[in-house]
Amino acid sequence: MVTKTEETELNQLENQVENGGGGVWEYLCLVRKLKVRRSELVLKHGLSILNDPGKRSALGPDEWTLYEQVAIAAMDCQSLAVAQNCIKVLQKKFPESKRVGKIEALLLEAKGMWEEAEKAYSILLEDNPLDQVIHKRKVAMAKAQGKPSLAIEHLNKYLEVFMADHDAWRELAEIYVSLQMYKQAAFCYEELILSQPTLPLYHLAYAEVLYTIGGHENLIAARKYYASTIDLTGGKSTRALLGICLCGSAIAQLSKGRNKEDKDMAAPELQSLAATALEKEYKQKAPAKLNLLSSALRSLKL
Amino acid sequence: MGGNGELKYEISQNAYIKLVLHSLRHKTAAVNGVLVGRISAKDEGVVEISDSVPLFHSNLALLPPLEISLIMLNNKKLEALSKGKHRSPVMQLCVKDASKNWRVVGTDGGSKLLLKEPSANVVLSDYISSEKWKDVTDFDDHLDDVTKDWLNPGLFN
Repeated sequence: MVTKTEETELNQLENQVENGGGGVWEYLCLVRKLKVRRSELVLKHGLSILNDPGKRSALGPDEWTLYEQVAIAAMDCQSLAVAQNCIKVLQKKFPESKRVGKIEALLLEAKGMWEEAEKAYSILLEDNPLDQVIHKRKVAMAKAQGKPSLAIEHLNKYLEVFMADHDAWRELAEIYVSLQMYKQAAFCYEELILSQPTLPLYHLAYAEVLYTIGGHENLIAARKYYASTIDLTGGKSTRALLGICLCGSAIAQLSKGRNKEDKDMAAPELQSLAATALEKEYKQKAPAKLNLLSSALRSLKL
Repeated sequence: MGGNGELKYEISQNAYIKLVLHSLRHKTAAVNGVLVGRISAKDEGVVEISDSVPLFHSNLALLPPLEISLIMLNNKKLEALSKGKHRSPVMQLCVKDASKNWRVVGTDGGSKLLLKEPSANVVLSDYISSEKWKDVTDFDDHLDDVTKDWLNPGLFN
């Protein structure tokens, strides 16, 4: 995940590069370092370096890394011919290389040649059974072929070995959510919160899944996690503030006709605090939408 | 609806373009949104879609943001059709066409969606070449930054 400062730096470089201000190599390196997906820009600007013999030789040994980066970006943009050319260059320079082998297999994937790609990856895995990237490609292929249950199977196996891979847990959670398997998604977020308890993103996601599952206890728990998100973000998370209001309303609805204890869980102060914070934010930043927000909040107050 | 059961949908240019631009903005994810329209006064078997509101491009199946977005949608729209799944046949048809030939969506038997103004595709290609999709903001963007307006009021000016 990218921090705010990193994102600002990236955007600045991006603007600079797009407006002809130079800094292309710094930009490409930053994209590589942060592992973000900016394939169109990488393709465009990477190629401008590669196609210029002077600029290319100025890179020295980094030239090959650039070929690799551009090949992958090209595949992401479906410019398979460009990718193929880059790969050819790499193959010539590094024959028998496993790293190039991975990119070749990626090209097979990009072409939709799933069986061939599977075979290629299996061969690569024989020599290096603990290669995380290849394992993840298998998950990606399952997803791309519209086989989410297979993707889940692969991911679960992967996580048995690499249980500290947070991105994998997140990916698994998102696949579960897309299949409406909310309880399983909740489990993933629980793992993530356990390992990184101060990351508000996980608290927020967990709260949203709990709310989606529904039921009195889950709503109470969801509210707790919305509250912790607000705590961890210094009150800046609009989604969490709205979540508190939604939870309050849903809990109150469920509590109708229940005993007094449950009614006490309605915590109206929390809801009105959240509502006030939201109205303040909208007043400052989006005054045109303030009325809309207020009427939405009113409809939630029952 | 009585009669022969199958509803036809006529989508206005702006609704259609917004929809496509939204999915172009988020090429690597599924998107969803709401189509807003009403039963045609002329023909009960036709629903006229007058506008579309782009909602989300991540975690489409989670309830809280969806509930908020639907509550915030203005009540003056006569009939709101929530068509999360509806979007995918449209998008698949357009996206799989890797060349920039946007076909009229009606060819997909499952969706029965017709373009009201056939020139919409021409306008759309223009917008695509000028990278207009960068200007589309959805409700997801709004939740991250409340200054962004998911109704995209200035999009077609």
